[in-house]
Amino acid sequence: MSEFLDAEDAALLGASLAAAMLAAPGPDEADQALNDMGWPDLLAAAPDHGAAIAFTALGTTGSAATLLDDVVAHALGIPISPSVCVLFDASLHTNPAAPQPGDPRNLIEDNPYVLNGLVSSRIDRATTVLIAVDEFPGTEVAAVEAGLLREPGATGIDPDRAYRHLSAQVPADAVTPVEAEGSWEAAMTAARIALAYQLIGGARWMLAEARQHAMDRVQFGRPVASFQAIRHKLAESLVLIEAAESLAAECLRDPDPMKAALAKSLAGKAALTTATHAQQVLAGIGFTAEHRFHLWLKRMLVLDTLFGSARYLSTEIGRDLLIYGTVPRLIQL
Amino acid sequence: MDPETFRRDLGAWLDANADELTPPYDGIASMNEQMAHYSLVKRALYDARFGRYGWPESVGGLGGSPLLRAIVGEEINFRGLADPNAWTMIEVLAPTVIELASPELSARLVPPFLRGDEMWCQGFSEPDAGSDLASLSCRAVKTDGGWVVSGQKVWTSFIQYSQRCVLLTRTGEPDSAHRGITALLVDVDSPGITYSPIETMHGRLDFAEVHYDEVFVPADRLIGEENGGWQVAMDILPYERSTTFWHRGALLHRRFSDLVAQLSDSGDLSELTAKTVGEVFLSLVAFRSRSRDTQYRLANGQQLGVETSIDKILITSAEQQLFEAVRDLLPGVVEFDEDPEATMWRTHYLYSKAASIYGGTAEIQRNIVARRLLDLGPES
Repeated sequence: MSEFLDAEDAALLGASLAAAMLAAPGPDEADQALNDMGWPDLLAAAPDHGAAIAFTALGTTGSAATLLDDVVAHALGIPISPSVCVLFDASLHTNPAAPQPGDPRNLIEDNPYVLNGLVSSRIDRATTVLIAVDEFPGTEVAAVEAGLLREPGATGIDPDRAYRHLSAQVPADAVTPVEAEGSWEAAMTAARIALAYQLIGGARWMLAEARQHAMDRVQFGRPVASFQAIRHKLAESLVLIEAAESLAAECLRDPDPMKAALAKSLAGKAALTTATHAQQVLAGIGFTAEHRFHLWLKRMLVLDTLFGSARYLSTEIGRDLLIYGTVPRLIQL
Repeated sequence: MDPETFRRDLGAWLDANADELTPPYDGIASMNEQMAHYSLVKRALYDARFGRYGWPESVGGLGGSPLLRAIVGEEINFRGLADPNAWTMIEVLAPTVIELASPELSARLVPPFLRGDEMWCQGFSEPDAGSDLASLSCRAVKTDGGWVVSGQKVWTSFIQYSQRCVLLTRTGEPDSAHRGITALLVDVDSPGITYSPIETMHGRLDFAEVHYDEVFVPADRLIGEENGGWQVAMDILPYERSTTFWHRGALLHRRFSDLVAQLSDSGDLSELTAKTVGEVFLSLVAFRSRSRDTQYRLANGQQLGVETSIDKILITSAEQQLFEAVRDLLPGVVEFDEDPEATMWRTHYLYSKAASIYGGTAEIQRNIVARRLLDLGPES
């Protein structure tokens, strides 16, 4: 964080953002509180570093604040606003009416536009949804009126309905091109780095819960933390989390689309692995609705699908390597 | 000198001297051939000055950041110019000797090591002290002008090529554990040292069992304090997991590139192949990112410690994943083929099995992470 804030200031900022998130009962209130605290200025001044701090806080607090819409809009060079939300790429199963997984951008010949992706809960109050449209050459950004896309019934697994699957068709005349300075690729890179931090924050929360439980829970006359099988699960979680954090920080130093995709993939792997291990360590209580663990598990599943799941991204990068036949060093001293 | 300029200059020099520096063998050579070529490359780098950066002037170096040493090994490994295991020894042993032995001793003994004229080895493990290193029993008894060492060591790599050995000995009571250990820098040709090579499952004589029978070691060969040998071992560990890991990571990256190039030529773009290749790459990049941070912490003078167990776990899983992928994606090559490339893959595949055993087993690393980084209290 040295180019932007020193470690101590970054930690203080992260703590105050987290406190604001925890004090806000829902996404609207959280968005409002973060706006009041200067989130738009933070994003403008230091898009990557600022998002890293804020998204880590989202992960550790479990907040459903809709900051991802702002990160994408900002990277596209479109003014951020609570009335603007984004149709996010996601790893979704294919149905005959939908485009391929991970790619909701699809222009069907003639009418209508087929939209398939995820939206945040901001769609409930937004007026505009930004979508990416495949044009030749490249991808362009367009806007659709949010009212056309609201599906009040949509639920999904997310505990706060923070992200929902949107699959819709809209007539071509409802899609308006938008002047965007930034590319969709740049927006995906920014989003993936931010999401990597949120996944890492969430993984750290789950690991801390599992660790504390292991220390407190006594069986056979000793804390279960003293058993090697438990210790190794927690150790493996920490190893993945630290690796993911390192790669995410590398993205802040020297952003690059492939690096960001790998960082998102590794953070997803760290979060999902930690969820599995933490649940096993928490055992019975971790399967109840009473313990908050399940909220994180569900959020992590959703975050993993956004802008490409851990598995999808690493497979796509594997395919790229096979196509080009060479392997970049990617990270240098 | 900034790392980027150094890398560029070094790369230009390596390219210009490729004829001399490229090994005369294909694939995997005998240890004699590898060691001879290692010395040649090390000497050439020394003479061209690149091999002296990152080492203090007191031992014949030119000073500068240890990052420069990481870069030298990286470029050597990316180009496949020398055996990374031989290279490991100087990076593991020399920094601690320079730091903890007397300045006169290191000024006298380190320069030939740096030039590639000499080799050192590391006498730590014993038949009854593997993961539990602090229970070692090879005894050093004080005598006139030095110590007399008697006992047995095992897994001593490269002793047949070595002039010196960094040896951990028991100087306290037998049950003094980590408090009663002393480190000595011993001449391998001292009377009383005998060794017999141990053949590994990949058909090499990588290491040996070593017997010390009343071996006299002069007093000035002390490294660190008397009974301070545990500190020496703990000081060595992070070096083992910083520069040398960066080098090994570069070798793995190169081998992964070889695999990808071969698969790419075959036109295999199947989902399963892409998935496997992508997962290996992710593990290699995860390690490389973590290791980059570690190199910078070392270069900034920060004390490296138990957190380097994370680096060890990451490189071990990347290495084993890589060579399992080779076996999966080039079916039959590891098991049956005989050309030099297949021999190379087979050797790497088999050697990768040791990665979770040497330098502290995978389980010991997880124990350290659990105890020291997660603060989980004592094991039951």
